[in-house]
Amino acid sequence: MASRAREFFIGVGDTAMNVARQVGGIVILFYEVVRALLPPRLDLRELMRNMLKMGYMSLPIIALTAFFTGGLMVIQSGIYVKQFNASALVGWGSGYAVFREIGPILIGLMFSGRVGANNTAELGTMTVTEQIDGLRALAIEPIRYLIAPRVVAMMLSLLCLTIIGDLIALGGGLLFSKLILNIEYSTFYYSLVDNLTPADFIQGLVKSVVFGTSIALTSCYFGITVRGGAVGVGRAVNAAVVSAAVSIMLLDFAVTYLLG
Amino acid sequence: MIIEFRDIHKAFGPKQVLRGVSLGIEPGEVMFIIGTSGVGKSVTIKHLIGLLRIDTGEIWFDGERIDKLSERQFYPVRERIGMVFQHSTLFDSMTLRENVALPLRKHKGMRQNRALREADKRLEQVHMGEFADRYPAALSDGMRKRAAIARTLTLEPEVVLFDEPTTGLDPVSARRIDRLIRELADTVGCTCIVVSHDLTSIFTISDRIAFIYQGRVHLCGDQDAFRHSSDPVVQQFISGQSSGPMETPGF
Amino acid sequence: MNPRRRIKRAIERVGARTLDFLSAALFLWSVFAHTLVGTIRGKRPKGEVVKQMYIIGNKSLVFVGVTLGFIGMVMIYQTCLQFGRITGDLSRIGHEFAKILVHDFAPTLTAMMLSTRVGAGIAAEVGSMKVTEQVDALRMSGVAPIDYLIVPRFIACVVMMVVLSIFGAVVAFVLGGLTAANAFGVNTHTYFDLSGVNFTHLGLGLTKAVAYGMAIPIISGYCGLRAQGSSEGVGSATTAAVIGSSFAVIVLDFIISAFGLIVLGEGL
Repeated sequence: MASRAREFFIGVGDTAMNVARQVGGIVILFYEVVRALLPPRLDLRELMRNMLKMGYMSLPIIALTAFFTGGLMVIQSGIYVKQFNASALVGWGSGYAVFREIGPILIGLMFSGRVGANNTAELGTMTVTEQIDGLRALAIEPIRYLIAPRVVAMMLSLLCLTIIGDLIALGGGLLFSKLILNIEYSTFYYSLVDNLTPADFIQGLVKSVVFGTSIALTSCYFGITVRGGAVGVGRAVNAAVVSAAVSIMLLDFAVTYLLG
Repeated sequence: MIIEFRDIHKAFGPKQVLRGVSLGIEPGEVMFIIGTSGVGKSVTIKHLIGLLRIDTGEIWFDGERIDKLSERQFYPVRERIGMVFQHSTLFDSMTLRENVALPLRKHKGMRQNRALREADKRLEQVHMGEFADRYPAALSDGMRKRAAIARTLTLEPEVVLFDEPTTGLDPVSARRIDRLIRELADTVGCTCIVVSHDLTSIFTISDRIAFIYQGRVHLCGDQDAFRHSSDPVVQQFISGQSSGPMETPGF
Repeated sequence: MNPRRRIKRAIERVGARTLDFLSAALFLWSVFAHTLVGTIRGKRPKGEVVKQMYIIGNKSLVFVGVTLGFIGMVMIYQTCLQFGRITGDLSRIGHEFAKILVHDFAPTLTAMMLSTRVGAGIAAEVGSMKVTEQVDALRMSGVAPIDYLIVPRFIACVVMMVVLSIFGAVVAFVLGGLTAANAFGVNTHTYFDLSGVNFTHLGLGLTKAVAYGMAIPIISGYCGLRAQGSSEGVGSATTAAVIGSSFAVIVLDFIISAFGLIVLGEGL
């Protein structure tokens, strides 16, 4: 019995050490990326290439997700609409939820799953096949050439995708409130426009920038610390996606609390 | 001496790989570092560009000590010492042309178009010009090796390290690579350090040979010194016999 | 290339894509069907289901706890903030939050989290086995890979989804209550009011948990079984699994919620 308890505590201790090491590694990576960006001598070619690739690969899935999410918000509000006959509030309710919370979080999660995971897999494969060492041997700094453009690209892509996704979600909401709740398009539209402020929209965008940075850093960190071939890459992708999800939730609370 | 290893020790965990390697390399020569698999040949040369760090000892390059340099400080060294890896490490997301153009853009400040044209010229020099548009995954090992050499040479290094350049190649491709290395030393005056266990290469193009055994330099000299050596371990290696006094851990 | 040939090429491409898509969809369906059959009749290694339940359940406990906890806090914080401004009456917050947690947020958000952790894990494991040809080896020794690899994870995931949803709901509710009490002074007695939760809510929530629990391992296993190449193939399979599972969760949420609203509207 006592040895079981001991094992448990050792396990907790090990996990805590692992987490601490990873968080430390990510913070160091953040510092190195920032250092590589001042002065901003970024490889523009790499930046553009990455932005196009990331935007292109994630736009369809994010558009679809946003569309259904908009519908989902409407369905959830539908319950209250029937109870309180509050059709006038549906536009506002959906818009508020989408801009401030659901939009940044869900789009962030999908982005992490698609672009973050892909990025980790790419960097992981490059690490395993010594291509990163190859860069260093050619006297090209991996952080400056490879990592920093990806981090910036991921941040900017997520920001753009969140803006687009928010709008599509509202479009979905507009459509489904007519179809399911029989709310006129104009009611929905005016409810949204009359009650929401730019601050609501901007707070969501601040979140998406914060999420984007976090997803980028965790994704790159787990990519370049891969060990062990194909299995190691799979494990790294897993770790990257899970860490990104946790950090999104943590940061969401932090930003919400700080910006009130 | 352009490069000097003084009493290098390196361990990986409990395994002590290098136990006091001391070696001097003259400018412009072709030095082969030979020995059985796993004895520490690649490990030795990777220290020269800071991919690995020694435990104790000193490494000197062109009158300066380099073993204690930080990662940032190593970059100027890497512009003067190039390395061709065993598995070529070309970037598989780029064509050969783009691979060779990359260091030209970064170090010679060329714009993309000019770099691409220059890359074509470099690939021609290693007879890979017609494959400039291809991706590394679509080519054979020998071709990738030649492209990797072209890429390393864009920095015009004074020293080039070759990690098992002919291992796994067919005899014709292997001899082509040998010729490239020899030409590099003769025409440009590049110092070439070659890690290899290809006996034909060793006895065709080397100026001097360093034989590493049990973590130390067992014998260092020119081809004749090796051919006429009476040391049984050396004899076993160069005659390629599977049994003899040589200890090969793991077999 | 003249216009006629260009059109022909385009049609061929669309045709090929459609066929690819259909064959993929068919394979997905067959994985699903085989898994269901395998659950009832298949042979699987002893203790594998329990082992998978441990891997999926115990090891996700902290992850689900932390994420759902923070989500609970954020939701309560946002809601209190807004309703505080509009009506100033926060007495019904706990009551409403409990309802929506049970029938929607707890199962859905837990599933979103699991689709990253478990989905990636299953795809990576099965994918690695596929590219190292261990899956073929299984088939050659007369063992159906689906029975051996996917069914245990399927059963374990369904069970654990229900368990973790309940756990997540509790964590989110409690932490939400603490946030409401500390930041907005809401009386804990007023908050911890479960009277609004009825069988319709429980039914919907349970259905969602089970549906998600089935979707995640099927989609992830499917992606793993389609992995090709080497480490890149495993990486792609993992990515596809995470995205596919997450998206499936959202679509299933939409469908089940719509059903709940349209058909059972009064009970809510």
